[in-house]
Amino acid sequence: MQIQQIDEQQAARQGDAAEMIIKTRDVDVFYGDNQALKHVSLDIPKHQITSLIGPSGCGKSTYLRCINRMNDTVDGCRVEGEILLDGVNIYGPEVDEVLLRARVGMVFQKPNPFPKSIYDNIAYGPRIHGLAANKDELDEIVLTSLEKAGLIKEVQDRLHSSGTGLSGGQQQRLCIARALAVRPDIILMDEPCSALDPIATAKVEELIDELKENYTIIIVTHSMQQAARISQKTAFFHLGEIVEAGDTEKLFTSPSDERTQGYITGRFG
Amino acid sequence: MSFYPLLIVLLLMSAVGYWFGSKKALGAVRKSSSFITPRPHQFGLYVVIWALVPPVLLGALWVMLQMTPLQMETGTSQQIDRIFFPILVLLAAGGGLYISILRINPDLRVRKTIEGLVYIILILASIVSILTTLGIVLSLLFETIQFFKKVPMTEFFFGLNWSPQTALRADQVGSSGSFGSIPLFTGTLLITFIAMCVAVPLGLLSAVYMTEYASSKFRAVVKPLLEILAGVPTVVYGFFAALTVGVFFRDVGDSIGIDIVSESALAAGVVMGMMIIPFVSSLSDDIIMAVPQSLRDGSYGLGATKSETVRKVILPAALPGIVGAVLLAVSRAIGETMIVVMAAGFAANLTANPLEAVTTVTVQIVGLLVGDQEFDSAKTLAAFALALVLFVVTLCLNVIALIVVRKYREKYD
Repeated sequence: MQIQQIDEQQAARQGDAAEMIIKTRDVDVFYGDNQALKHVSLDIPKHQITSLIGPSGCGKSTYLRCINRMNDTVDGCRVEGEILLDGVNIYGPEVDEVLLRARVGMVFQKPNPFPKSIYDNIAYGPRIHGLAANKDELDEIVLTSLEKAGLIKEVQDRLHSSGTGLSGGQQQRLCIARALAVRPDIILMDEPCSALDPIATAKVEELIDELKENYTIIIVTHSMQQAARISQKTAFFHLGEIVEAGDTEKLFTSPSDERTQGYITGRFG
Repeated sequence: MSFYPLLIVLLLMSAVGYWFGSKKALGAVRKSSSFITPRPHQFGLYVVIWALVPPVLLGALWVMLQMTPLQMETGTSQQIDRIFFPILVLLAAGGGLYISILRINPDLRVRKTIEGLVYIILILASIVSILTTLGIVLSLLFETIQFFKKVPMTEFFFGLNWSPQTALRADQVGSSGSFGSIPLFTGTLLITFIAMCVAVPLGLLSAVYMTEYASSKFRAVVKPLLEILAGVPTVVYGFFAALTVGVFFRDVGDSIGIDIVSESALAAGVVMGMMIIPFVSSLSDDIIMAVPQSLRDGSYGLGATKSETVRKVILPAALPGIVGAVLLAVSRAIGETMIVVMAAGFAANLTANPLEAVTTVTVQIVGLLVGDQEFDSAKTLAAFALALVLFVVTLCLNVIALIVVRKYREKYD
């Protein structure tokens, strides 16, 4: 018991010492006249998993989509405030949002492989960004991405059949492999397991856990068990604001805010 | 009694039946111990059905009997008509009314009768359209067979010379009467090809712009405008082709030293292409809109630009549907008549040069049937043969297009 506590303290200290890759300062997001995020400030530590939890419509997905500026593709969406990625404001005039998305990859709620072959799905990103000088390099990128996503064994003999023919869980891991192929630093995941069954979910969670060695992961989830299982940091959103953020362990065992307490014990949300 | 008073009496009878039936049903339902009974107005409709359906069937039967040759010869049928038929109809209506009102009780499942009638009406509606199509095909087929009795099939399908004027008198000159349809079909293909060269790129690009680039406000204004273009009567396009575009091309040709006739295939094809633009663009618009947003998100999320996303994800995903849309557009272009009548003319040249005048199948059909004609000459019968071939070609194109489009629809989710 005591040893466990010491371990936890060490872990907490390591967490404090971790470098913050993203710093969010007073971000407001508007959809037309409707304010979706209010003065959100949050720091994301490097090479850790941060979960965003909260009831539907609380702004957690909106926040996620601010980090790679996916909100720019939505008509009538306006973002104010600063999001610093390695000290650079990604909403600054010198940042190209298209190139930003290559550094900040994204995996979506519903697996969305392109209606192309498995190979072409993964080669899509490297091709448009010119990451491979020739066919051999491209093959190399595709294979390592599949390997990192833990999909290689299942698909290596059918790389040229359609990506949409895979099962849901395989499709989602294909989408993760596709995101990895453009060598991002950060991967955003928007409820990546909500369309999957428990076995596929377990596989994807295991994969996410492995990926934190080399990537910073921010995951939106509706499952508090999932947040508790995989993440080191958790932020609780409610009505467009961050109510509480911090170490996952602490947030789930002794939340400081009443609303957090209410949400994690299932009294609302 | 003549037709209209009879009709009015029938309608009055059914109105009275409706009122009486509803009223009686209301009383019966109130007294009933059962708690699920049909609503009173359903009983009313039930009575109306009984009052109207028997006379209508009787009338239909009567008309059919009248058309048989047996009845036509006898002069007495007129007398029977005047007295016997109205009485019969009124009796049928009255009998229906009486029986149905007598049968009203809360346990009668009148909803089934009403729904059954609705079902029959719907089936009849679709059968009528199918039978019409069948009738058109058959009439074309019979006349075509007549035509091939006068002109050999090999001449029609493989002949290179089209000049359908046959000699009326033995001593007439210059009217050889040859029915080689190849120049017509090559002319049709040439003009259709030019039209597609105009319509497909412009229509597709405008659809891409509308779906992917335009703001929703702009789209809300411009899309209806584009569809107005589809509502312009083809005659108006014909004017435009003959008086503006054709002359313009000729003048341009003159100024750079190329000889372009004012009734060139080019002018007709370009204007036909303009006519088809809204058709192509609104079909491809729907198809591109049907590509799931998640695919766009996936592509943007990987750092692709808008044009990369369109070229590498959206268009490939929508391609089968777009092919289907283009095939539908081709079949419209092949069947289009008015623009080519006005802009391209009647000269049946066998040429692939778009700067010369050509003619199309539809134009020749118009030419063959305009004016006073004997309907058993090879000249007029040729029109039916042409129409049949055209019908088969466009039918095949439509079927292929629909199959392609349907296959594509099943692909997402």
